[in-house]
Amino acid sequence: MDQTMRDKLSQLVEELTTSGEPQLNQDKMKEVKKICRVSDSYIDHFYHLIMTQLNQEHAEIRLSAFQMVNEVFSRSHHFRVLLITNFQEFLELTVETDAEQPLPPPKEVARKLRTLAIQTVQSWHATYGEAYKKLSLGYHFLKQIKKVDFQDVEARTLAERKRQEEKQKRLERIYKEKLDKAKQEMEEMTSGIEETLTEMNNCIRLLATDDFNLFDEDSAASISTTAEDQSDQPCCSKDLSNEHNGKMMEKKTDKEQTDESSDESDMEEVPDEDAFLRSTGLMSYRYQLELDVSADLKVRETEENEALVNTVRDLHRLVTTRHLPLVQSWVQVFTKVGVEEELMRRATELKKSLEHVLRKHEYLHIDYKDRERLVMRAPEDGEDDDDDFVDVPEKEGYEPHIPEHLRTEYGLDETPSTSTSGTKAKPSRPVVKCAVPPVSSSLSRLKRRMCDEEQDPTCAAATLRVLKQKLHPAPSTSVPDGSSESAVSSSDQSNMTKNKASFKAPVIPFGMDLYYWGEEQPTAGKIIKQTSQHQFWVPHEVEEEVENKELSAQMKSRCITYAGKFKPVEHKCKAPMPNGSLCERQDRVKCPFHGHIIPRDELGRPVNPEDALRLEREKRKREEEQPDWRDPELMREIEAATGEDLGSSKTYGKGKKGNKGKSKKKYPNLTDLKQKANTSRSRLEKKVFNKSSMRRVTEVMNKMDKRKHEKFANQFNYALN
Amino acid sequence: MLGFLYARQTGLDDPVRLRRAESTRRVLSLELNHNRDVDRIHGNGINTLDIEVIDGRYMLSGGSDGVIVIYDLENNSKKPQYTCKAICTVGRSSRHVHKFSVETVQWYPHDTGMFVSSSFDKTMKVWDAETLKPADEFQFDGNVYCHHMSPIARKHSLVAVGTKDPKVQLCDLKSGSRIHILQGHRGEILSVRWSPRYEHILATASTDSRVRIWDVRRASGSLFTLDQHNGDKSKASSEAVNTAHNGRVNGLCFTADGLHLLTTGTDDRMRLWNSGTGENTLVNYGKVVNESRKGLKFTVSRGCSPEFVFVPCGSSVAVYGLHSGELITMLRGHYNNVDCCEFHPDYQELYSGGKDCNILAWVPVLRQPDVDDEETNTKRGGTQAAINPAFADAWSSDED
Repeated sequence: MDQTMRDKLSQLVEELTTSGEPQLNQDKMKEVKKICRVSDSYIDHFYHLIMTQLNQEHAEIRLSAFQMVNEVFSRSHHFRVLLITNFQEFLELTVETDAEQPLPPPKEVARKLRTLAIQTVQSWHATYGEAYKKLSLGYHFLKQIKKVDFQDVEARTLAERKRQEEKQKRLERIYKEKLDKAKQEMEEMTSGIEETLTEMNNCIRLLATDDFNLFDEDSAASISTTAEDQSDQPCCSKDLSNEHNGKMMEKKTDKEQTDESSDESDMEEVPDEDAFLRSTGLMSYRYQLELDVSADLKVRETEENEALVNTVRDLHRLVTTRHLPLVQSWVQVFTKVGVEEELMRRATELKKSLEHVLRKHEYLHIDYKDRERLVMRAPEDGEDDDDDFVDVPEKEGYEPHIPEHLRTEYGLDETPSTSTSGTKAKPSRPVVKCAVPPVSSSLSRLKRRMCDEEQDPTCAAATLRVLKQKLHPAPSTSVPDGSSESAVSSSDQSNMTKNKASFKAPVIPFGMDLYYWGEEQPTAGKIIKQTSQHQFWVPHEVEEEVENKELSAQMKSRCITYAGKFKPVEHKCKAPMPNGSLCERQDRVKCPFHGHIIPRDELGRPVNPEDALRLEREKRKREEEQPDWRDPELMREIEAATGEDLGSSKTYGKGKKGNKGKSKKKYPNLTDLKQKANTSRSRLEKKVFNKSSMRRVTEVMNKMDKRKHEKFANQFNYALN
Repeated sequence: MLGFLYARQTGLDDPVRLRRAESTRRVLSLELNHNRDVDRIHGNGINTLDIEVIDGRYMLSGGSDGVIVIYDLENNSKKPQYTCKAICTVGRSSRHVHKFSVETVQWYPHDTGMFVSSSFDKTMKVWDAETLKPADEFQFDGNVYCHHMSPIARKHSLVAVGTKDPKVQLCDLKSGSRIHILQGHRGEILSVRWSPRYEHILATASTDSRVRIWDVRRASGSLFTLDQHNGDKSKASSEAVNTAHNGRVNGLCFTADGLHLLTTGTDDRMRLWNSGTGENTLVNYGKVVNESRKGLKFTVSRGCSPEFVFVPCGSSVAVYGLHSGELITMLRGHYNNVDCCEFHPDYQELYSGGKDCNILAWVPVLRQPDVDDEETNTKRGGTQAAINPAFADAWSSDED
């Protein structure tokens, strides 16, 4: 036997098995076969090599080795004899016959290996089973004892199948429990749910009489699409008055008005209809009136329907939070487990009806009042301002157009563009203007409050102001009385400038300093000392005044806590981090990790050259101050001893490059098994279970124990344990 | 061979010599033969095997599932291919079947009409082999690990029974009662054996790592205890005095002549003792892997000139020279632990049963015809290849 050939064979086997590829390199395999062909002694050697590789704890090595075995097995009788003599071990290593000796990771490769091995053993048995007794014994062993199903593509072993069965069984048991529970629940709850349903249906029916046929699916759909009513009828108030539900009237009229105002440009285009205009006061025959009936079907809570609405509200909450999830969970359980049709049908029906009711409820758009408001209002009902409260409808959010007559109530001046509508020839008199004679301080305060409100972005006034400002620069040409508009605007502006000073002045609580504003405080800082507390005995000097500088300063000055506006930090630290990204911290002045925040470009480099210089200097200094335990030489030694990465390789570039080759993996092609262990769990484990933290925990616990002992040491009961 | 035949013909040699030589050769060439199969009946591991000595034809096997099977070993078909058929079975459907694992089965040594089986269901049953019904049944307090009937006894028909109880029980088949107990052990009795030389001599092995030799006529106690250090106190620690092994002793076997006794223990050792004096012969067999928690059934060859021991060793059967202690070969064929093996003295065949439910027959390889003719040799090779193409190498030409 040639030693060089042997060495070459060893090398080839190692290369092939550690390639980490799913298929063998055909050229190398060919060489192996060529060597093996020469003599049986090479096959002996090959066999030993292969068995060593099969014993490696890495599925990829085993897989490759197995593929090589398969190649040679079909060719050499000698190899077959060798392998079959040790077939048991071979099966353990490839098919996982021994439960205590599972195939090594990575998992998917191991699975592949097993599948391949089982298929191969089957084919070997078909070809060579007759001749090699032990092979057929092994096959039968796999088939009958290990219960390997050779037809099964997944090639699961008995244990695996058992595991699966158990899992299945457990799942079934759980499902069954769930099902029983659901059934029981259903029996208990169905009547309740149905009751709720009927109740809710009735309530809804009462709230919105069903003339709309709202809850018919198709009709609802037709309504929900905006019905364009293009009738030649000049007035559609008839239609509106037809509206059966009185509650909606107000809303509808609002709507009409806004529609009119938005349609005014249409009106302008038909000037020759003067006669009609005169006779009716309407601009046009043709109104394009849009009625969003279904979308705007709103039920408002009033006193007469309050009880109903309350019930509906409660029921709605009950249905959404309780019943619907419950029924949904039933349906889920039933579909998963598969039960008799009847039960399923009942559950789905329940669900459907519940959903239907919810949909109905949605169509109603019930306008709930705030509960608190209701409580507040109850005692005040008889008072003078109740008419204000009763008629004002709740608005949800801001409305771009506010009807003229409501404007004052809103506390707003009328916007000039809307005030020009022809139907209302009321002279526009802005509320603000008349309300603010500049001398009157109380009124100016009111004005200021309004300004404050306007400042507040959550207030409706603010939005209005924004709108107003938008409208000012774009006066529409079609407006007939532009002069008044401009007058209004100019007066507005003058008001604004006047108010600016008072607007800027802070509002502060009244104090001594204000009381004596501009005057000399006579008693500032003077303390009268009474030397004797005696009742009758009066000293020679009656009183003694001591002047205290501090006190007098206190009396004359005033502390005003400065609450500056919060300005969010817009810059980021942007210092480059080891992982390549930039620091995202947004500190105002100094980043806790990277020091003072300096302007940096998008690569994290300092923009100013002096900053760069300073950073460089600091860095160098830090490197020099490297603690001696981080001596790279020492660390490398420790790493070599423990096999753990302590980070010596990144020790600031001072270390030699010598250890680079050492740290390189031996077989770069194989999947790294250790790397897989680097999960969040393992990292946490490293932190939680490391020695020092464990010691800390035990210390604390010991201390607690001790304390207990000390506390109860004099008690016989505790002294014993 | 021819030399032996000639010497035998001319009367130069002792008649047994040829026989010994040939049987030795045959034992040495034991291998798994694909011509011989044993029916697969057991669905579970096989604990015990026994071949009757009268005809050497029938073999009993007991499995962990309580099933007892009788096989016919004789090949009447005049073909090399033979499957040992199961003649009859005490299966799980039988009314009388053992509930739990059958630990020991043994033929009645003088007749094939009866056999005895003991089981973990705390019973020992005496069966009528014809009807397969128990003729008698003994109840015990603990699991029965083993029992044995003396192969030579004429004056008594005692069955020694080793149970979980440290007392060895003696059951008399004549009266059907337990007549005697032998006290002395302190652990479960894992193995009992009667001497094939003296009918009243009994050896017992226990988990207290002692092996005791009894004369059942003597009521007071055992004759002696085997000591692995031969009484050399200095070597033994105080508690290890008079122990045969350092672990449980779970196997006992007398040699065919009864002069020596073999023991195996869980300390992975096998020891050979002089059964007359109880002296450790200090034969070193090396490591004999033995993890069995129950009794281990092993056997020795009979009628060979150096005798051989067949002892289960993991998933293979190890063959040792009895007196040399040399490992001759390992018979590999089982896929799980081997629990028992039985030697067929007439055909020099070995049967082994293991946890993989197989009973394997190890058959001597037939002697190849001694032909030195070159031409016939190649021809024979050709014919063999024709017979069995699977043995041929199949190197394809594309590897060149």
